[in-house]
Amino acid sequence: MEDVVSGAGSMLMGSLAKTKSVKQPASVPRVSNDVSDSDEQLLIAVGNHQDRAAFNALFSRFSNKIYAMGMKLTRNEQLSHDLVQEAMLTVWQKAPLYDLDRGTAQSWIFTLTRNRCFDILRKMKRQPATVSADDIWPQEGDIDSQLVHEEAGTMEVEVSKIESFYGQLPAPQRAVVEQIYIHDRTHEEAAAVLEIPLGTLKSRLRLGVGKLRQMVGTEV
Amino acid sequence: MNIDAKYHPTPEQLEGYAEGSLAPGMNVVISAHVELCATCRQSISELEEAASEEWLRSTPDTRASSINFSAMIDSIVDHPQIKNDDTTSDNVPEIHMLDHSVTLPRALAKVASDGLVWKQLAGGINQATVTLDDQTQCEFLYMKPGSQVPVHKHQGSEVTLVLDGSFEDELGHYKPADFVVRTAKDQHQPASEEGCLCFAVLDSPLTFTKGLARLLNPFIRYRFRRATSAAAH
Ligand SMILES: [Zn+2]
Repeated sequence: MEDVVSGAGSMLMGSLAKTKSVKQPASVPRVSNDVSDSDEQLLIAVGNHQDRAAFNALFSRFSNKIYAMGMKLTRNEQLSHDLVQEAMLTVWQKAPLYDLDRGTAQSWIFTLTRNRCFDILRKMKRQPATVSADDIWPQEGDIDSQLVHEEAGTMEVEVSKIESFYGQLPAPQRAVVEQIYIHDRTHEEAAAVLEIPLGTLKSRLRLGVGKLRQMVGTEV
Repeated sequence: MNIDAKYHPTPEQLEGYAEGSLAPGMNVVISAHVELCATCRQSISELEEAASEEWLRSTPDTRASSINFSAMIDSIVDHPQIKNDDTTSDNVPEIHMLDHSVTLPRALAKVASDGLVWKQLAGGINQATVTLDDQTQCEFLYMKPGSQVPVHKHQGSEVTLVLDGSFEDELGHYKPADFVVRTAKDQHQPASEEGCLCFAVLDSPLTFTKGLARLLNPFIRYRFRRATSAAAH
């Protein structure tokens, strides 16, 4: 999984360096001089009147790029195929929500491909389904949506007070734990301070720490 | 909601978020900051433009022979389109802390919506751990007024997003929306005078370096392993 993630990083490694040069060509059509043929115009045509020809054009421009992103991240042909299907379906379904305020068409398609890819990878790695891409990158469809206010789950407090456990230790063990953990003394120093043999100190420490861990462990 | 944050994610973290190359736990905490911070939202849309340029420029036109394009297009255009923006979440956006409630950013509201189980740790700290992936440990932390986290250092990095109240450490005073990054080099001792709710993401366990809290170390490692192995299965 590490290499999958670093693959994504290196794939886009050059992007920071390119940030400056990105702004001005954003709305300039790259493929054709005909403005009606820009990605943005195609996307708006799909959104406004379900333009099949415009959708075919977007499909042929982006599907191979989407497939390649899928192969890079999942190394799995079936999942990459699914990614093309899901990303292009989202393009079709959400095209009516696109407008130029949302940035360039290629950036819009990139973000929704990234999001579908996140969800596919999460399923592939069997990660908990707590959060989906749409929770993490909400700007794709529904920025500033009204949140429903409801009662949160009850707060359940489980008490684990290590200080009070410490007080429950027998005095000789407590003295040793105090020297080592509170005064930060070495075993030798602590044995000298307490005027006990080193062996005795070590066994009391082992017993004391063992008891504390047992007490904490039942609470943790 | 916009709050003027003083501390933001690093450029690498924002870039990773825009590209989608981070672990879910890290994505969630950055998402929550970005929702609160107009400056970072602007950076993200620029980084997304840059990432899309790079995607189209550097990706080979690999044609997937297995794909039947016209069949796929036919099946797609059978679906109805979405005309209005009504994907309003059914999330629980608030968390109740003693005397008041705190509205959570969307991603965190989703994380908290399954219910949080709070545990009280030493020093007036309450912790509710959530499992989002197998590479990070994520938790809500509530520091009672006047509480102090034992001195600790990290084996990896720790990110803390302030949601309510404030806390301070040797390097600063952190308020809502502030995004505090600590790496393995930093040893610090957060404390909160007025009380503080935050969300923290660790990419490896904490190690306490002083006092009785060191006794907690084996348990913290154990919990981290348990949280991450639970995610793996
Ligand atoms: Zn910010």
